[in-house]
Amino acid sequence: MVVGEVAVETDVVVIGGGPGGYAAAIRLGQLEKSVVLIEKEVLGGVCLNRGCIPSKALIHTAGEYHKLSSLNKLGIQLPTGKATFHMPSWQTWKSSVVDQLNKGVDYLCQANNVTVVKGKATFLSSDRIGVETGNDFETYKFKQAIIATGSRPYIPSFLKTDGEYILDSTDMLALDEVPETLAIIGGGYIGMELGMAFAKLGSQVTIIEATEHILPQTAAHLSQEVLKQAKQLGMTVKIATKVEQAEVANGSVTLVCTSEKNGSESITVHKTLVTIGRVPNTGELGLAQVGVEMDERGYIPVTSTGSTNKSHIYAIGDVTPGPALAHRATKQGIVAAEVIAGLPSSVDSPYVPYVIFTEPQIAGVGMTREEAELQGHKVKAAVFPYRANGRALAMDEGEGFAEVIVDQESHLLLGMHVVGADASNLIGEGVLALELAARVEDVALTMHPHPTLSEVWLEAAEAVLGHAIHVVNKSKVAVSK
Amino acid sequence: MVEFKLPDVGEGMHEGEIVKVLVRTGESVQQDQPLLEVQTDKVNAELSAPVTGIIREIFISEGETVEVGTTLLVIDAGTEAKAEETKLPEKVVNPDKTVNFAPARADHRRSLATPYVRQLAREMKLDIELVTGTGAAGRVTEEDLRQFANRLQKSAPAKFPTSATGNERQLEESTVPIGTEPVVQPKTGTATRAATSSQGDIERLPLKGIRKKIAEHMVKSVTIIPHVTSVDELEMDQLRALREKIKPHADKRNIKLTFLPFFIKALVIALKEFPTLNASIDERTNEILLKRFYHIGIATDTPEGLIVPVIKDADHKSIFQLAEEIDQLARLAREGKLTMEHITGGTFTISNVGPIGGLQATPIINHPEVAIISLHKMEKRWVVREDEGVIRWMMNLSLSFDHRLIDGVTAVRFTNRIKELLEDPNLLFAEMV
Repeated sequence: MVVGEVAVETDVVVIGGGPGGYAAAIRLGQLEKSVVLIEKEVLGGVCLNRGCIPSKALIHTAGEYHKLSSLNKLGIQLPTGKATFHMPSWQTWKSSVVDQLNKGVDYLCQANNVTVVKGKATFLSSDRIGVETGNDFETYKFKQAIIATGSRPYIPSFLKTDGEYILDSTDMLALDEVPETLAIIGGGYIGMELGMAFAKLGSQVTIIEATEHILPQTAAHLSQEVLKQAKQLGMTVKIATKVEQAEVANGSVTLVCTSEKNGSESITVHKTLVTIGRVPNTGELGLAQVGVEMDERGYIPVTSTGSTNKSHIYAIGDVTPGPALAHRATKQGIVAAEVIAGLPSSVDSPYVPYVIFTEPQIAGVGMTREEAELQGHKVKAAVFPYRANGRALAMDEGEGFAEVIVDQESHLLLGMHVVGADASNLIGEGVLALELAARVEDVALTMHPHPTLSEVWLEAAEAVLGHAIHVVNKSKVAVSK
Repeated sequence: MVEFKLPDVGEGMHEGEIVKVLVRTGESVQQDQPLLEVQTDKVNAELSAPVTGIIREIFISEGETVEVGTTLLVIDAGTEAKAEETKLPEKVVNPDKTVNFAPARADHRRSLATPYVRQLAREMKLDIELVTGTGAAGRVTEEDLRQFANRLQKSAPAKFPTSATGNERQLEESTVPIGTEPVVQPKTGTATRAATSSQGDIERLPLKGIRKKIAEHMVKSVTIIPHVTSVDELEMDQLRALREKIKPHADKRNIKLTFLPFFIKALVIALKEFPTLNASIDERTNEILLKRFYHIGIATDTPEGLIVPVIKDADHKSIFQLAEEIDQLARLAREGKLTMEHITGGTFTISNVGPIGGLQATPIINHPEVAIISLHKMEKRWVVREDEGVIRWMMNLSLSFDHRLIDGVTAVRFTNRIKELLEDPNLLFAEMV
């Protein structure tokens, strides 16, 4: 730091240019606040550069590649010889997608008068922040700050990633070839999404999950559909199994695992992906300088407006307790920006949808049946299977079901969950229905376009009411105690 | 992991203020061990651990007001506290599993409204939870908000002359950005002084705790209920004479005999004859609930503010039993030891301000009840009896009633009946069960 430094004054600094940070900065710009957005790498954060977008690009590619093997039954004759997958070409294409989005974010920041500063930020005091930009050190004086530094993969010390054999999800998406054998430690959504994609591209994949279920965040009957498909893809899924040791030798990784069922066993694979959770990036921000409180895991507790214990400092996204989801970060970012600009904004909705891009996809919003019952609801619930939906069959996507969970007395929707093709897009209807405080009749009485997958909601809602058209209605709809 | 959420410890309460956090992160707790003290609708409740385990995370701080259903802390059930367990173990377990995708705050009790209407409520600085919805399934509509705001505006100046917005429940203070004039005082903290040339010296105190609860309850009551107050005067000489006669017997049994038990007895007899006075209105279903039990609330002055303990089944209790119970409840109230059980379930309230003074009042009905009676100072007055001026012990009573349900004629007949019973206590005894 230079003696007599000159601090650039700004209304707001936003630290972190991920989906929460850049959305907050753009919204602040729209609301005519002067705003400095500090990003140490590239705009877009994990989501755009190393998470959502690249992984969905890979999952899409793997899906298309995998479909080739079933085109024959649709009457599509491929030239003789097996299709091949060239990962370097895929990397080029992925980079073009990411670049295009990066440029888009950059352009939007400029158009909204957001000053983007590349560098590593550290709080100096409650109203000043320093940024290391290469060899320079710049200081900014702010009225408000938004912490949006996101999270990184959690890697236990004995599993030191080396970028070659033991990989985190970022390394995995940067590979230039499909590993012949791949072990994935952690059967959560990232592990299952990437595991299934690589299985479709030809890897022999082994999932090692410490709990009793893959996708432990979701209801068991939803993840069951994914487990079925994982087995069809030839994946090995080990549940209730812990990895004790990992050793790299002779161009491969040997993992020693233990489970009550199988005792100790070792697995040797070409690559190992570690995906067992994420930790917030709050350690190096100098939060102690400003007195921003963190919990013992490093998360920053916030109010519904995103405010920390210091009322002029806000935190959004993965650094706050809650699911690490880009759409949650974006919503929090916009709210924090609006609150700073004096608007009465709030993240006051309990409805945070989730989407898992496995095969089949899972998506949901609101409570599961079990959660609703735990909260004291008497529940009515019904499912409608994809195999009874015309469009699903015409797409050769008959696996899965939509589930609608309703309060028995008021008929208000409590939760909507779907596992099956395009679940990620279908859940939009569920989010809107719950936000609008719809009753099950509202969905059942709404004309849904035919032939589309969206009809699964219509029929599941009708099934709750006991009169779905395309399944035989059980005389008694499932009713909780 | 067990998420410990703020339960509904009262009848339909929707939020509580965290008064004290009794545990710390990493601390080992036993099942039923007290974790927090929360101030709900006029009482302090102690919340205890549902399971044995370790406190992993605490999401709230003292002084914070949180909604029912909010996750307060997370307990790692079935483990014992060891220093190393507060870190993530080195063996590969899945930290993902502690974070469920499902929202922790999916509380179905929140009022039904679309996101746009919620936003509008915030813009209007209204607490949407206080607005009765008239839309399908009780949804709060845009029109409901506007009508609620209009009613607030009309009722505010009369009851709270200091500020038109002072009786609206305000949004959290963190909505106020730095550098702008704060419109809301922090919920916690000490008093602050701010002097401006035009206003002079103003002391700002946080509106919190029981005072805040009373404020909210009063606003709700005057907002919903069209109040009418009727005043009458009672001749108390015969009742005074009777009390003097009985008093030595009460003293022998160590019972402090005031006039209040007699009032309660007269009131219960009249309530049985005028059932609409012992009722409530279910605003959601538009039904009148006539209550065939007589739980009489007694507005009691305490150092913390006005609290209304309830005497349950007053019609089944003797004058002496009532006197004993009043004494006991008043003591608990003053000591701040009333529980939710003591202050809920009332069907009618008596406010006895007589010992302090005052001639008449417009008492605010204790919603969802439909009437309240206020007893005033007992004093000797010149009155005319059989065309002669005489001195009598007189007392005024004020009855506020819900004009949605009760007409003026009914209300006056009701107070006439009470007057009849108290002016001639022989009748009171003749009617007593």
